[in-house]
Amino acid sequence: MIYRQGIVIGTCIFIAVVVELTLLSRLGIPGATPDLVVVTVVAIALAMGPLQGASAGFAAGILMDLSPPSDTLVGVNAIIYLIIGFIAGYWVDPRDRTLIIIMGITSLSTGGAAFATAAVDTLLGGSRVNWAEVPWITLSAALYGLLLTPIVVPVVGWLVKKVTPEMSLS
Amino acid sequence: MLSRRTKIILATLVVASLTFVILDLRGGDGPFSSARAAVSSILGGVQRGAATVFSPVTGFSEWWGTQVDQSGQIRALTDSNELLSTQLIESENDIARANELDALLRVASVGRYRVVPAEVIAVGPAQDFSWTVTIDAGTLDGVEEDMTVINGDGLVGRVLKVYNSTATVVLLVDPESSVGGRVAGSQEIGIVSGTGRQNSLQFQLLDPLGKVNAGDAIVTFGSKDGRPFAPGLPIGEVVDVSGTAGALARVATVSPYADVSQLSVVGVVVRPPREDPRDSVLPSAPAAAPAGGPTRAPAAPQTTDPAPGATSKPEVVQEDETAATPAPAEPGN
Repeated sequence: MIYRQGIVIGTCIFIAVVVELTLLSRLGIPGATPDLVVVTVVAIALAMGPLQGASAGFAAGILMDLSPPSDTLVGVNAIIYLIIGFIAGYWVDPRDRTLIIIMGITSLSTGGAAFATAAVDTLLGGSRVNWAEVPWITLSAALYGLLLTPIVVPVVGWLVKKVTPEMSLS
Repeated sequence: MLSRRTKIILATLVVASLTFVILDLRGGDGPFSSARAAVSSILGGVQRGAATVFSPVTGFSEWWGTQVDQSGQIRALTDSNELLSTQLIESENDIARANELDALLRVASVGRYRVVPAEVIAVGPAQDFSWTVTIDAGTLDGVEEDMTVINGDGLVGRVLKVYNSTATVVLLVDPESSVGGRVAGSQEIGIVSGTGRQNSLQFQLLDPLGKVNAGDAIVTFGSKDGRPFAPGLPIGEVVDVSGTAGALARVATVSPYADVSQLSVVGVVVRPPREDPRDSVLPSAPAAAPAGGPTRAPAAPQTTDPAPGATSKPEVVQEDETAATPAPAEPGN
């Protein structure tokens, strides 16, 4: 069963990374890039649980760090997405899962990821982050996360239920 | 609540990512260059395919408009009409791309740069605060690290990392990018650095008494052997100057000619010109080719092959004498 879980997680993450880097980041949308990867990690965590969420976050972060054109430190996105995946899977009660609450969680996650990336990069001595832009980037990332939720979360949830029926929590 | 196994796996993942960060912080090539190359060889192909599929969406913002019209038409029109409208979009796509290539050719021929054309296939997310893109040309096309990247409007950036069939380009607006610049028409030089915003650069004069005014054009000063920056490429136009003459820090705000948010066709300068083209490449003044520009340069027999490897892309070369005079029908960009 663990293989099937791995396949579901891997496929979702891979598609999310490719679509984010080749489509979403090129649309020229103002502010942050719609963070499909974080929304997918949260969706996996909500559907499968904290351990799978954390593993998916780790895998997605490493892939984002290594795939071109990334020039950031390897491991930064990995630890941020890992924490997000774990928290989303651990603290959210399955009974609370109305669409409104899920949208709140994903938008907190995408906004938090954007802010945490800026903070960690600055802490590690990077000189790229322009802190005047951070609030706007964080807010727009949260907004786009909110908008992506009704599309991504049901699709991932359906896929998880279909491929790994033993995982369905509700 | 969490089982022992879960805790062990979580701890392993956390330790692994922290280890990666620390290893990568040591700088240099590090242990991740081969990992990046491996991921790039897999993802590069996928990104290339995905970029082709997404190209009608990403290339042109007008597409949204036509798409809204089409959604009504598609219901009403027959199959043949659908086919025609698709062809129309494709040809518009091709025409826009051809125009960009034309502009690139003009810059390459006026300045006598030898250029490998490439297309942007992926862009880094804005959350990274880094302005990097992937292009679909790599070592197989003769691209090497630290080569200059241009488009029809001017300087775009430089090649940061290069893989077999793709390369990562750091754009000139990246906060860590800095370019030696020269005020067109004068000898004032300075450093143009990115600010992280797509429409503004900072130009810091080396001579605090130097003259720079709003409206002045900035071109690249050029590096040794044309790397990482070939000389004479248009960077941007001064829009604002802060600090009075003689002040320690005289900084001008420069608006780049190249719109880095809508990059599609770019060119990698695989060989810089033999002579500095001075100000002749600037878009606004086609008639202002100064003496000492490329018009004076002899049609040098250029025999060396810059790309010993298999070149899968045709190189854009203009060797004849007529190409050295700025294109007459070129009112601007």
